[in-house]
Amino acid sequence: MRKVIYIGLVIALCWFAADCARAAELHLPQNAVAGQPLSIGTGGSGTLYLVGPGQVIKKEFKSGGNVEIKGEELRSAGRWIAVVRGDTNQSQVFWVKPGKPGKLNFLARPSRVPVARPNVISGVTFVFDQYQNLILDPMPVNFNLSVGGATGSMKTVSSRAGVAWISSPSAPKAGAAQFVATVGDTSVTRVVQQVAADPCERSFHMHVAGHAGNRTVVETDPIRDCSGNPVPDGTIVTFIQTDKTGKSTVDARIKKGTARAELPASENATITVAAGVVLGNELHVGGRQ
Amino acid sequence: MKLARILILTFGIALAVSGAMPLLERILADTKPSVQLSVKSAQPREVEEVTQNAIVRDYTLAWQAIGTSLANNTLQPLNENFAGFALDKLTQRVKDQKQNGLTTRIIDRGHKVEAIFYSPDGAAIELKDTASIETQVLDGGTVIHSDQAQIQYYAVMTGAEDRWKVRVLESAAQ
Repeated sequence: MRKVIYIGLVIALCWFAADCARAAELHLPQNAVAGQPLSIGTGGSGTLYLVGPGQVIKKEFKSGGNVEIKGEELRSAGRWIAVVRGDTNQSQVFWVKPGKPGKLNFLARPSRVPVARPNVISGVTFVFDQYQNLILDPMPVNFNLSVGGATGSMKTVSSRAGVAWISSPSAPKAGAAQFVATVGDTSVTRVVQQVAADPCERSFHMHVAGHAGNRTVVETDPIRDCSGNPVPDGTIVTFIQTDKTGKSTVDARIKKGTARAELPASENATITVAAGVVLGNELHVGGRQ
Repeated sequence: MKLARILILTFGIALAVSGAMPLLERILADTKPSVQLSVKSAQPREVEEVTQNAIVRDYTLAWQAIGTSLANNTLQPLNENFAGFALDKLTQRVKDQKQNGLTTRIIDRGHKVEAIFYSPDGAAIELKDTASIETQVLDGGTVIHSDQAQIQYYAVMTGAEDRWKVRVLESAAQ
């Protein structure tokens, strides 16, 4: 009889222990995603704390029920700790993945660039979901650079650890270039002002435009870069006249496409013209023009 | 009599150790974590030596700030070392911890950091960090969770006025 009671007691004890163990079970999903609802299975009653990288969620729960976490509550991707305090105390680590792409951080440099230069524009894109979690899985990022509605250069790059980048040449045409980065339905535009490059040596010419009293007026032809874009008004052009009395220098700004200067009249002088590092033609005025 | 002495001595030692341990852990938490940086994989631009030193210094400070902020639920250390999304998230975490009476003690055992991206203009750098970290979550003074793990973090740092600041900090399953 004693043996039977003893066996019965042992069975009851084991049952109780198993029940306690079941109560302590914490069922966490393996594929939680930020922004999506989450159901956590618990036993017994108590308080559930979810400690995440960017938030802490606290939920009271009662026996037998799952703890439901709304999608908008679960915002941070990364390593989370679930802690149960109540009938039993238990904790576990679980991971939350970022959601779909919803936000791009797009850095385009520089903001102003000369035309027709190789690899002069860089575009760097960091891909985030709508809750500002960096998406570490590879994502195709499309970069498109175009000026004035014309079809521009387009390239698709796969992101690596949340970042995709390209280096692109500037277009031959001056103007405000639209630099667009796109991932899925999300796109961000940056404007890169493409300006004419330095004047083209081949077409950088000046001529004598006339005489005003004892002064010689020299004027350039319309100044363009080697792609045919007019060099912007305001760019400084330097005229230098050298004769036996010395050197005269005039810095003139391009106005309506040309630059003009008045230099002292001379019987025999050499005039040169330059803009930045680019030299134009050379004129001889006076007796040997 | 001898037995009583031994008992009192044992009790005294136990008391001293129990008092010293939290203090030691606090000292460890406030100590600067060790950060080893490798820049071999950085692209498309090479990381200059001056930048490497600055990154090590500022990433170390950032982790020290995380330890201090999460342990004491204070925001000031975060504001000095974080910006953007990382600052938003950590600030929210500290506020939530405070609201729920929790703190987190981080015992930082070091970081092996690899620079994986350095932007062409030198304005942003992305780091892949394998961190050895012991995490303890405390409810009041009671430890309710403790674990020690190697955790992989991805951090994006950008140049700020006088230092590099962490703009993105995200952990990922290895």
